[in-house]
Amino acid sequence: MATVDETKSRLLRGVVQDNIDVLQNVKARRLNRRKRSVHPWILAGLLLALGAYVIQPALLVSTAPTPAGSSVALATGAVTPTDIDLTPELSAPLTNPRPIDRAAIPLAIKRIVIDPGHGGEPGAMSESGVAEKEITLDVALRLRRLMAHDPYEVLLTRETDRLMSLDKRVNFANQRKADLFVSIHANWMEPKTIRALETYYIGPTDDPATLKLASMENKGSGYSLSDYKQILEKIYVDARHDESRALAKSIQTKLFRSLKLVNPVLENRGVKTAPFVVLIGTQMPAILVEIACLSNEDEVKLLTKEDYRENIALALVQGIRSYAASLNAPNRKGS
Amino acid sequence: MEETNETLCVGIDLGTSRSSISASNGQRHVVDSYVGWPVDMVARKLVKKTVLVGRDALDNRSMLDLRRPLERGVMKEGSEKDQEAVQEILRHLIDVAGIKQKGKGKTKVRAVVGVPAEAFRVSRQNLRNTMEGIADSVMLVSEPFAVAYGLEALLHALVIDIGAGTADFCVMQGRYPTEEDQRTLPNAGDSIDEQLTKLISERHPEAQFSIHMIREWKERWSFVGEPKSRVVVSAPVKGKPTELDITDEMRTACESILSPVCETAVDLLSKVEPEFQDKVRNNIILAGGTSLISGFAEVIQKSLMEFGGGRAVVVKDPVFAGSDGSLAIARDASSADWEKLSL
Repeated sequence: MATVDETKSRLLRGVVQDNIDVLQNVKARRLNRRKRSVHPWILAGLLLALGAYVIQPALLVSTAPTPAGSSVALATGAVTPTDIDLTPELSAPLTNPRPIDRAAIPLAIKRIVIDPGHGGEPGAMSESGVAEKEITLDVALRLRRLMAHDPYEVLLTRETDRLMSLDKRVNFANQRKADLFVSIHANWMEPKTIRALETYYIGPTDDPATLKLASMENKGSGYSLSDYKQILEKIYVDARHDESRALAKSIQTKLFRSLKLVNPVLENRGVKTAPFVVLIGTQMPAILVEIACLSNEDEVKLLTKEDYRENIALALVQGIRSYAASLNAPNRKGS
Repeated sequence: MEETNETLCVGIDLGTSRSSISASNGQRHVVDSYVGWPVDMVARKLVKKTVLVGRDALDNRSMLDLRRPLERGVMKEGSEKDQEAVQEILRHLIDVAGIKQKGKGKTKVRAVVGVPAEAFRVSRQNLRNTMEGIADSVMLVSEPFAVAYGLEALLHALVIDIGAGTADFCVMQGRYPTEEDQRTLPNAGDSIDEQLTKLISERHPEAQFSIHMIREWKERWSFVGEPKSRVVVSAPVKGKPTELDITDEMRTACESILSPVCETAVDLLSKVEPEFQDKVRNNIILAGGTSLISGFAEVIQKSLMEFGGGRAVVVKDPVFAGSDGSLAIARDASSADWEKLSL
């Protein structure tokens, strides 16, 4: 059993390390501001490493039997292009490829696009006259302020009350090569007693209520739901799909945990899949979060309070940060 | 380079409502976290100072641009004036602790500052920047952790530090607490004030009172559970001093934070390893100004009955528990550690 002094000394090491981490984060960000370009030698090294990675996992993920001649080279790890015996079994298309382990490619988030839903047109409207477009923009602006000193660039698809089509929102994120896309919306549900939170990522749904919601949010896109089938079939095998789910879970958890304390009757409807246009078209992990129910007047009263909207923004920030931190966690499960 | 004669350790609890300092020279002080600047030449002539801090600022508030620069235990963001106000509070604390900050013989200050348990990295960075020129080296720690360290409640303990801006929770399990071991709630003293203001306004719409009167009433008569006596206060109604019975409003407002506090405590307890949950449940430590609400510990114990019971105690000195704990950390840290964290 550790003595009090030993425990204190362990705790102090934790305090000091924690503070050094804060300090180094400041320095890292200052450096990033000064110089964003990558040195050619580092780039070359990264390309070589990536090349080696592409070759090696191609062998490792194979479900086909390994030819006897190549087993020595694999066991020693000394694999060079000339050592690889590209027998028909190995070069054949993989019928059941294993997912790539995320830990093999350390990823970082640099740019986040926040999409305040609607604008110009009001979106959902409460009986007391609170419009979805106002709430989503207010929360998005708060979120950007709260992340102002984070090591990410946060961009908003709109900063004023203006009409913006769904494909323009998608293009905005794709053209800027965003690493994450978070679309903020407020719900309208029957019966009006419901107060619920839910977060969506791309995927099919058989739930009539979700289909109805997707149809409403996709209004003006020019497509019908059936048009998406082909696109969706390609997306479901995409790694982006798993990352979007992880991001959705992180945001839903933080949001519910935070808001439940001040809104005790709030219901956690969890993470769901749905074919929203903004989730289909974006090329990065993307989610759509329904932060409140404008159909419930008690909730609308809460939404009119600055504190409550600040809490929502804080919880979204925590969700994004938690997801970003998990990308570099050593024991993170592969996607 | 300035000559330094002496090295002093300080522990600071930078609170939304009050801030305290405990220094290794034996000084301990608490100030109201208010800062005010005279609004014009006349005011400056009357108050005879360029800046006022604490009670001094509150008492002269009609002549000042008064700021309460902390929100939920951290600096308000985006306002240079508030950042300046935080610096003034920190300078004032160092000054009242008798520490020489300028000139020949300037004291070298090693400061440990308590921040809310879940304070965001950005807030901690802001605070570090604000400390430049005030301390030579700085460590930031979570407030409940500082309390636990000071009390040597390092193993199987749950510290709940309830201040004005936040209620901070930390489970101590003999190791440096992770994010999972800590929580911060916005339901604390300020939310009681808001609730109390709303309830009294509803019941006595013609009564006039300020937020400062509300805070004074709460500090004097707050309670949960059964009242020991009626709470009767005086406030002007149409200009005439009138007695108002606010017993029910006081109880409702104070009890409004009970449910989130108990829920969070139970949630944290449920994450402790099963064989230790009983020990932690029987070692709940309450600190911070809001923990002084009469009957608070008893009601928390009562709420734990359905989970097998528990024991909650209020620390002997809730106002200084955070700064004393921070001072203990400052003293125990080695010079090498302090060097790494110099500003």
